[in-house]
Amino acid sequence: MAEPIIRMENIEKHFGKVIALAGVSVDVLPGECHCLLGDNGAGKSTFIKIMSGVYTPTAGEIHFDGAPMNFDDPRDAIDAGIATVHQHLAMIPLMSVSRNFFMGNEPLKRIGPLKFFDHEKANKITMDEMRKMGISLRGPDQAVGTLSGGERQTVAIARAVYLGAKVLILDEPTSALGVRQTANVLATIDKVRKQGIAVVFITHNVRHAMAVGDRFTVLNRGQTFGTARRGEITADELQDMMAGGQELVELEGSLGGTV
Amino acid sequence: MSDASNVTPEVDERIKTRSRFREALIRPELGGIVGTAVVFALFLLFAFDSGMFSSQGVLNWSQVSAQFMIIAVGACLLMIAGEFDLSVGSMIGFAGMIIAIFSVTLGWPVWMSIILTFALCIAIGALNGFIVVRTGLPSFIVTLAFLFILRGFTIYLPQTIERKTIIGGISDAAEGDWLAFLFGGTLFKGLFQWLGDQDIIETFTRGAREGQPVVDGIPMLIVWAIALVIFGHILLTKTKFGNWIFASGGDAEAARNSGVPVNRVKVLMFMFTAFCATVFATCQVMEFGSAGADRGLLKEFEAIIAVVIGGALLTGGYGSVIGAALGALIFGVVQQGLFFAGVESSLFRVFLGVILLAAVILNTYIRRMITGER
Amino acid sequence: MISLWKKLALATAIVATPMAVATQAVAEGEKYVLVSHAPDSDSWWNTIKNGIALAGEQMGVEVEYRNPPTGDIADMARIIEQAAASAPDGIITTLADYDVLQQPIKNAIASGVDVIIMNTGSAEQASEVGALMYVGQPEYDAGKAAGERAKKDGVTSFLCVNHSIQQPTLVDRCQGFADGLGVELGNSMLDSGADPAEIKNKVQAYLSANPDTDAVLTLGPVSADPTMLALQDNGMAGDIYFGTFDLGEEIVKGIKDGVIEWGIDQQPFLQAYLPVVILTNYHRYGVLPGNNINSGPGFVTADGLEKIEQFAGEYR
Repeated sequence: MAEPIIRMENIEKHFGKVIALAGVSVDVLPGECHCLLGDNGAGKSTFIKIMSGVYTPTAGEIHFDGAPMNFDDPRDAIDAGIATVHQHLAMIPLMSVSRNFFMGNEPLKRIGPLKFFDHEKANKITMDEMRKMGISLRGPDQAVGTLSGGERQTVAIARAVYLGAKVLILDEPTSALGVRQTANVLATIDKVRKQGIAVVFITHNVRHAMAVGDRFTVLNRGQTFGTARRGEITADELQDMMAGGQELVELEGSLGGTV
Repeated sequence: MSDASNVTPEVDERIKTRSRFREALIRPELGGIVGTAVVFALFLLFAFDSGMFSSQGVLNWSQVSAQFMIIAVGACLLMIAGEFDLSVGSMIGFAGMIIAIFSVTLGWPVWMSIILTFALCIAIGALNGFIVVRTGLPSFIVTLAFLFILRGFTIYLPQTIERKTIIGGISDAAEGDWLAFLFGGTLFKGLFQWLGDQDIIETFTRGAREGQPVVDGIPMLIVWAIALVIFGHILLTKTKFGNWIFASGGDAEAARNSGVPVNRVKVLMFMFTAFCATVFATCQVMEFGSAGADRGLLKEFEAIIAVVIGGALLTGGYGSVIGAALGALIFGVVQQGLFFAGVESSLFRVFLGVILLAAVILNTYIRRMITGER
Repeated sequence: MISLWKKLALATAIVATPMAVATQAVAEGEKYVLVSHAPDSDSWWNTIKNGIALAGEQMGVEVEYRNPPTGDIADMARIIEQAAASAPDGIITTLADYDVLQQPIKNAIASGVDVIIMNTGSAEQASEVGALMYVGQPEYDAGKAAGERAKKDGVTSFLCVNHSIQQPTLVDRCQGFADGLGVELGNSMLDSGADPAEIKNKVQAYLSANPDTDAVLTLGPVSADPTMLALQDNGMAGDIYFGTFDLGEEIVKGIKDGVIEWGIDQQPFLQAYLPVVILTNYHRYGVLPGNNINSGPGFVTADGLEKIEQFAGEYR
């Protein structure tokens, strides 16, 4: 098996008296889809914010590509190749797809001493990358606001991949989507994984996780119950771990096993 | 712009195809273009013989429009970046007064006074921006505070120093100053004299300037307006920074997540707005030769109105410098044109309201077509 | 889209209607434009508007009133340029700021428009720009005359309530008053703002902080009316020496009640009425008075208030 691209050991994060993470260890391999599951408030968001450089951990170590790493700024993480696609804040609806695609990483062309945004190049790349992901745009200047939620996620993912992400963190990409759109996003995840990129897929939906996940880590109240491989664990077991075991069994009984 | 749509192999059957003509038509400036056409058509119809389209008349509304344009460019970029500046009008009064105090009261060379004033005012703009991004307070409130602070100083300083609220004599001080010309001079004097000699434009009929053309050149005010519009348009649409301006105003959090230095963009835009206000003030002071404590009253709203007529979104992230410039042109032409058309001056606000409303309705509609908002 | 075009067409029609009416309503006879420096909110200029309306009617000429909405003198310069471009027979304007307005006025004169300076300015400035004449009240001199009068009445300290401190002519009035009294202006000038409640409170605050103030000078109805209320409130009405520039309904009442010692009448009606009459006669028959006309200052006291009472705020 390959070396992990990112290894996080005994990560702790305290906000004043609140202990958001109490020693979590996770490693992610290139080309795998690592699902991070957990209920609301389990510490998923805090964990990925540490991974993407937004927070610095109170204690614990991060190894990236085998070397210890300290991110002071999200910019550092982006430069290292860790890209995050956020739940809601992925795209700016008023801007065109191509402007969104290159936001913060605009291609430049030089005219005399001045550098300008190379719209032609940006438009062409955007159309190509979108086609690779199976989305046909009316044009690169189409506003993101005209796209569906799933398409927006796909644009964001394609964008991160194009910009050279080695680790792609997806923060609940499917939580607000319909069935068909979810399927599209999951298919996109599969395509990305096959390109050798490590995908960290955060979700609380076990079925979505089971559909594409290679390994599964469950967070509960700032702690982890360890990591399981695909085939080593069932959907029901994951569900139980997420909810903290016993209570859900009782709850499930009263709901007729539909949760 | 839309040629890439041809390469798309498959088209979602739910998206209606749009003709290229329609595609080209639907842009943020459309409201401004339609408005400009309507306004000119109306005035050509009702005020053609009134002197509005004589060379003097054209210069008159061009200058007024150019003034609006200068502050509208700054306000437009700032608004697209998601912020407001209500201190523009006070900044105009303040900048003019500072130039006057430096050059007349303190007797410093005019070029130095202008440069120092620019530095001071841009620094105040930066302070505005810094407070906004640091505190996260609405820029509306922060710049409202500066509206009062700057206006207060504009009255207090000359009163304390010179015991009056208007400082004159700048024209004498600026005589032959190289930098003063850049703001108060006129270009192409020879050409206009020739045009006057050829009877293409009218000439003065009596007095010391008899025989000189009534319009003796292109005032630098207009040159600045055009230059700033071109600069703003290129900055916004053709550069990396322009993309950051859109992104900062569209969704600051999303922009930050993508690595856009949102705070820097916003502070720079506050500085640019202050720069534009100072250009306005300097042109005014150099043309008229005096600075008054009441200069620039309510100009911040005039700038915002021009920008909104030009199709920008009040909440940020959307707009066009060309649109704002057309908005300024409409504003200036209507304001001056109503007089030529012989309309009672107190009705000006009624017209302004009607235009503003029509523009906003039209622009909202256009924007929905472009962005798919519902 | 269609409904939108309809809306736009409607808006256009609304915009166009009064314009069409206005262009058709052009009267026979000469055309004059009066340009003032007063913001829209200044009600004192109503007398001026009535004055030009009456003169226009009597002489059979068309007179338009123009002003910068916010009182910005730079905007006023553009209005003068614009008035000149519309090629009227004459322009009647104030000279609120010589530096700013001189060039536009000179240009107007050079392009064949006759100009009379009214209200603000001075005879010297009027002749310098090449205007036919000056009709008005020299502000500094009026202030000084008032100060000298107050000095005779035993006043040694005063408060000048300035409701529009950015206007240099108002500062001139206070300065003249101080010089007439022979004291320093110093802190005696209060920047009161134009809001009545604010003026009232500021005046009360000043007087309680400086209780030995002998006199109050207000610079027009805008500051006089609230000042009167302030004095009635703190019981100083009738006790403190109170003089004011300009007249108005409340001021006249104050003079009658003995709260106000005197009002300085610059007779704005004449400043508006006379230039129109003079210009018309000049253009029709070539006759022109040989000198400038001082419309003020006239001190209005409790004696002979009847006419003033009747027309206060309208023609007085």
